[in-house]
Amino acid sequence: MIELDEVTKTYGVKTAVDRLSLQIEAGELFAFLGPNGAGKTTTIKLLCGLLFPTSGRVRVGGFDLQREGDKARQVISYVPDQPFLYEKLTGREFLHFIAEMYGMAREQMLSRVDDMVALFELSDFIDDLTERYSHGMKQRTVFSAALLHEPRVLIVDEPTVGLDPRSVRLLKNLLRKQADSGVTVFLSTHSLDIAEQLADRIGIVDRGRLISCGTLAALRKQAALDGSLEDVFLKLTTETSQDVQGEAVSA
Amino acid sequence: MTLEIPTALPSASVAAPLRSPWLFQRLRWRLFVNSGRAMVEASGLRLFVILICSTVVAGCVFGVCDVGFTFLRDKRLLDTGEVPEMLFDLLFFALFMMLVFSTGLILYGSLFSSAETGFLMSMPARADQVFAYKYQGAIAFSSWAFVLLGCPMLVAYGLVGLPGEHAGEPALLAPWYFYALLPLFFFGFVLLPGSLGAALCLLVVNFVPRRRKQIMWVLAITVIGLVSFWFYSVLSTTRADVWSRETAQALVGRFTFAQRTITPSHWMSRGVISAAARDLDQTAYNLALIWGNGLFLYLVTTGLAVGLYRRGYNRVATGGELRRRYGGHWLDQALSRILGFVDAQTRLLIVKDFRTFRRDPKQWAQVVIFVGLLCLYFANLPNIHQFDESEQHGGALAGLRTEWAERNAISLLNMGATALLLCTYTSRFIYPMLSLEGRKFWILGLLPLERDRLLWGKFMFAATAALLIAESLVLLSDVMLRIPLIGILLHVVTVATLAVGLSGLSVGIGACLPNFRETDPSKIAVGFGGTLNLIAGLLFLMVTISFMAAPWHMVMMPAEDGSYVTPMAVAGVVIGLLVGVATGIAAIMVPLQVGAAALRKMEF
Repeated sequence: MIELDEVTKTYGVKTAVDRLSLQIEAGELFAFLGPNGAGKTTTIKLLCGLLFPTSGRVRVGGFDLQREGDKARQVISYVPDQPFLYEKLTGREFLHFIAEMYGMAREQMLSRVDDMVALFELSDFIDDLTERYSHGMKQRTVFSAALLHEPRVLIVDEPTVGLDPRSVRLLKNLLRKQADSGVTVFLSTHSLDIAEQLADRIGIVDRGRLISCGTLAALRKQAALDGSLEDVFLKLTTETSQDVQGEAVSA
Repeated sequence: MTLEIPTALPSASVAAPLRSPWLFQRLRWRLFVNSGRAMVEASGLRLFVILICSTVVAGCVFGVCDVGFTFLRDKRLLDTGEVPEMLFDLLFFALFMMLVFSTGLILYGSLFSSAETGFLMSMPARADQVFAYKYQGAIAFSSWAFVLLGCPMLVAYGLVGLPGEHAGEPALLAPWYFYALLPLFFFGFVLLPGSLGAALCLLVVNFVPRRRKQIMWVLAITVIGLVSFWFYSVLSTTRADVWSRETAQALVGRFTFAQRTITPSHWMSRGVISAAARDLDQTAYNLALIWGNGLFLYLVTTGLAVGLYRRGYNRVATGGELRRRYGGHWLDQALSRILGFVDAQTRLLIVKDFRTFRRDPKQWAQVVIFVGLLCLYFANLPNIHQFDESEQHGGALAGLRTEWAERNAISLLNMGATALLLCTYTSRFIYPMLSLEGRKFWILGLLPLERDRLLWGKFMFAATAALLIAESLVLLSDVMLRIPLIGILLHVVTVATLAVGLSGLSVGIGACLPNFRETDPSKIAVGFGGTLNLIAGLLFLMVTISFMAAPWHMVMMPAEDGSYVTPMAVAGVVIGLLVGVATGIAAIMVPLQVGAAALRKMEF
């Protein structure tokens, strides 16, 4: 469902993503981890077609993002870490706009909006202007908009920031059930416990390179460490950092 | 917690990309209605002030144009249509150029660096649809002033009418369809410069992505400079008898570049004049030219957007380095040294504010452009007004008096223009300063310093910049006009009072009515507090100039030719000065004290 083939992305002289290859199947929940500035957000922007690769190819749902981006985006939903809402629309008006954007019929739209309002418990504020929403309320509204058109690929960047424990629990259940129902979930996060609990596979990226990818068991094997994901993550990223420093010294 | 999660669609259900052109129009309408409702609910006063100000501005433009066109009609300069055609050609040509750049710059901001376009680009919206939506917004934003100023001017032209064929006959007024067609002319015309600006923006972003902002600014400033230079060169060649038919004919020759049949400004002026003269064929022809070419250019630009918008978005996002390194700047160090007499904490706050301001070209570029234009005008004063020394020394007393009266009026008006610039500067940049600390304000709130110092730091930063700008401008104007030393001193004191008073008002009101939710300074400036600050500033400006400068200009300056001035008149000037200074001190102390009290009570 998601294919990245030797993808490189540079910003001027800086390489943000370096020869990244990845294949994620339908119904898989893939957690994408990495330190700050590792290239996670750039990878997500490449997956949404916001940025184009300097070299390599990105395909989602069988569509090349650079040549058939509009078709690819029809099957994608993207939830950024900083949710965007029109401040002068109510939550309900925003959901209607999104439904129309995806070409949903009116009856289907009304029914789905009601479902989302119930699912994300938005009824108390859905008819207020979104400028009055807290971060958590915005995040829940954005999630309901993302699921409104029943996407086949859900790309989520740092979803739990600013959410209360009940909302985090709701979100975790939601992401897992989406994957179980056949949706491909690409989850970028710093919350290692969420990745550990939910992910089918985990990819760790550092300095633009995919340094490890597989199930938690596979990652433990690579790190030669039988600890938590946090221990594995720290060991793998520290080793890469030392390797890079070593390469720099020898150069 | 049990959740019913919807299942995903099967893979065969991929719909075609969106093709509903009305989706964004409905969005715009909904945003407009909700914004209007929120504005009325939150601040009816603000809406009232906006409507009143717009009506007053439109009324003033109508009044001035009515007087001007009546004068031209009475001088029989409207007979052949050459003079109004020249005036309209020039006006529409200048507006055309301004709209090209303003649309380009606004579109750049909204297409490539706004959160909204980032959101829309991740949706299945077609690039040309997003482009068209943002293009229409940019056109509306950049041309509202054009419509606000252009409509009353053309209405005045229609109401004044053409002179009757013989002396004593009533004027021939414009027909009803002249007024009905004006909006069609305006909306058709703005498509042309708007599309050119948009195409320029797309091409610059795609093919010169590294220095795109600098190129747009350099182009805009070059064009403004060239137009200003040409304008003053035209003025400087016109002599005293400017209202004669010969001078007018000579002037027409200066505008041939704007009068070519391929220039859209000429289609506009020909169309409007034909409509007023009841020439329906020419009216329809020029209107068709405007709309035909406008829509064609719009289609071409939108076609460009299909291939270039997403590509440009990618290039803007990745054209530069991932992280730009910022370091110390000699200007920061220079300011820190200049402020050596201020305590260290306040000095740090002032340098921080200066650094923030310096790193935001959108803020200071506007000040630079307006100050530059005023400098250009002041430096050209002797050329424009042709003050003749020989006439002054050897001419008749009447000529000398006319000369002095002209200098007197111009120097007062120039000081008024400088004061208005100051008022705009403090309303637009100083008032939002405290609000811009935003949700980070708790950092300053927790610093081990008295909160009053935050305010005094911002006041000193504002007043230093305001003093430097205003005093330089007023000194340049006075030197160019050869105003006597006593007059220059009086202007320096008046402008200093205005600079520190307006700074005190803006900082104080900014502390009393902060808006920590908004991050855009222009939106903070047009909010309720900003509007109140602007009104207070304008009132202070009028009171200060009326008390401090106007008496001297009315009594003392005319007496420079040796006329007798009564002791009562001198006493009036001195008392006016003292009242002005006292008002200035009050404008600093009262708002800052009230603002400091509000700041001390503020919770973070």
